[in-house]
Amino acid sequence: MNKQDNIIEIHNLKKSYDKGKIQALNGMDLEIKKGEFISIMGPSGSGKSTLLNMIGALDRADEGYIKVAGIDLMKAKDLNKFRSQEIGFVFQMHNLIPNLSVVENVEIPMYETNLTSKEMGKRALELLELMNFSNLSDILKQNPTKLSGGERQRVAIARALVNHPSIILADEPTGALDSKTGDTILKLLKDLHQKENVTIVLVTHEPYVANMAERIFKVLDGKIVEEKKES
Amino acid sequence: MSFTGLILKNPFRNRTRAALAIVGIAIGIATIVVLGMVTGGLQTATTSTLKSGAAEITVTPVGSGGFGSGGGTLNESLATDLLNINGVANTAGILSVNANVTGASSTGAEGFSVLGIDSDKLILEGIDSVNGTIYTNGSSNQLILGQTAAKNLNKTVGSTITIFGSNFTVTGIYQTGNFMTDGGAFMSLDTLQNLTSNEGKVSDIAVKAADNANVTTVSQSIQNAYPNQLTATTAADQASRINQSLGFINEASTAISLLAIVIGGIGIINVMIMSVFERTREIGVLKAVGWRSSRILTMILGESIILTLTAAVVGIVVGVAGVYALLPLIGSGFQPVLSAGILLRALGIAFLVGVIGGLYPAYRASRLPPTEALRYE
Repeated sequence: MNKQDNIIEIHNLKKSYDKGKIQALNGMDLEIKKGEFISIMGPSGSGKSTLLNMIGALDRADEGYIKVAGIDLMKAKDLNKFRSQEIGFVFQMHNLIPNLSVVENVEIPMYETNLTSKEMGKRALELLELMNFSNLSDILKQNPTKLSGGERQRVAIARALVNHPSIILADEPTGALDSKTGDTILKLLKDLHQKENVTIVLVTHEPYVANMAERIFKVLDGKIVEEKKES
Repeated sequence: MSFTGLILKNPFRNRTRAALAIVGIAIGIATIVVLGMVTGGLQTATTSTLKSGAAEITVTPVGSGGFGSGGGTLNESLATDLLNINGVANTAGILSVNANVTGASSTGAEGFSVLGIDSDKLILEGIDSVNGTIYTNGSSNQLILGQTAAKNLNKTVGSTITIFGSNFTVTGIYQTGNFMTDGGAFMSLDTLQNLTSNEGKVSDIAVKAADNANVTTVSQSIQNAYPNQLTATTAADQASRINQSLGFINEASTAISLLAIVIGGIGIINVMIMSVFERTREIGVLKAVGWRSSRILTMILGESIILTLTAAVVGIVVGVAGVYALLPLIGSGFQPVLSAGILLRALGIAFLVGVIGGLYPAYRASRLPPTEALRYE
């Protein structure tokens, strides 16, 4: 497979904080192919979340090369448009907006598209139907505060997918869930990966979760130190 | 939900805080509306005194400040004497007294003003027609009532009214547009003089200048002819004095508007900054899903404007309702004026407060780095 198949290409990427005192990424190299499900493991402070922020264009690297979905993120000017079109985030703490209903939360990323309110509502509903809710009609108009942790994370996944992104970046998506609910969410992510052919980059510190991916990268001191391929 | 719908929904997520912010700004807006309506009403009353055909000059005793005093303090014969002054076309002696009306409703009786004037001189007081008939000179039991007085006293043409122990028949109802005049009654000068033991006396003299005469010159001529006895004041002077007083009210209104902008602006900055702080992580999420900084700025600024415009609507409703609720208690027949200008001013100030108060929090929110915002606890 040649480089053109890579959806993420990172070479010698460096990022420091606190005027260089903290070296979060220290010459990171990583290549991920389109449609892959990979996981990134490492202890706290190893640089895995910083790497996710760089891929998702939430922050800019100090030096190196990073190209995601064909966009050179070191040179790109409109990172908002890139995030809107190419990236879907799933956070550990779902980060849903408490005063908006379930449907309205899923509609949020679509405000940067040209869709009408009606089209947005329809698309949000389609995504929520993919999330295997047993009681979807009951919760549609409810605020997320009334949902269980697992239900909230499903809504967050629907929100991440609603703009048909090329890549889903999931930062400890099961970290705040009990093991049974966590399993359900991981299964959902795996199913969506297969059905939607979306690239998933999952950050975790739990080996059990990491093993769900096709490839596992171990990060330490801002570098990839090990790559493991699941059979 | 549309983006506009989101902006309309967001300000009320913390209802207590939104309500307090709205009340704070609404008080300022209500004050502006009340002052505007009162000033507008007074201005209308002032301009309505300058009707065509009405006397342009009021002659009063020296020391009365240019406004007619109650009771008879001038000799009635002076009204005839003034006709000899160059430029004077017509004069009318007027006796003005305050009366309590037997059988009046609870409101409107106090300060009820009764004026005595010959019926053929009523035009000098701005009365050119009545609903009914005008009293006859020398009649002892007829009068005409101002529209406001008639309403307050619940009287119509043909009703009987008791003043100073005598019964009078209301022969007509008049309307001049001046709330003070319309709140009183007119009767024959002789009758009022006899009734109040003011025979041959008047309170002031209304003077109509000739068509080709300069009113100020005529006024000065009267003043010069009776330097230690009479004060001549033109209607324009009176209006100017009232307008000067109204000017103070207008200045007070402007000062209150500015105060409302400053206090309301600070209040809104506080409310919106609190809101942005609380929603820092949410703003981080909005940036993560691709929202442009300008959209976040528009959202926060829009929320601020929605809060202040809601406050404006509340303030306008409270202000207008308050004025009309208090009006019967005043009972003077004063008619406040609610003009489009007042409403626009109130809404404009509210909009300005919304923009000023929301701009900094909105800018701050739009500039939040997404990674920091997402880490915010």
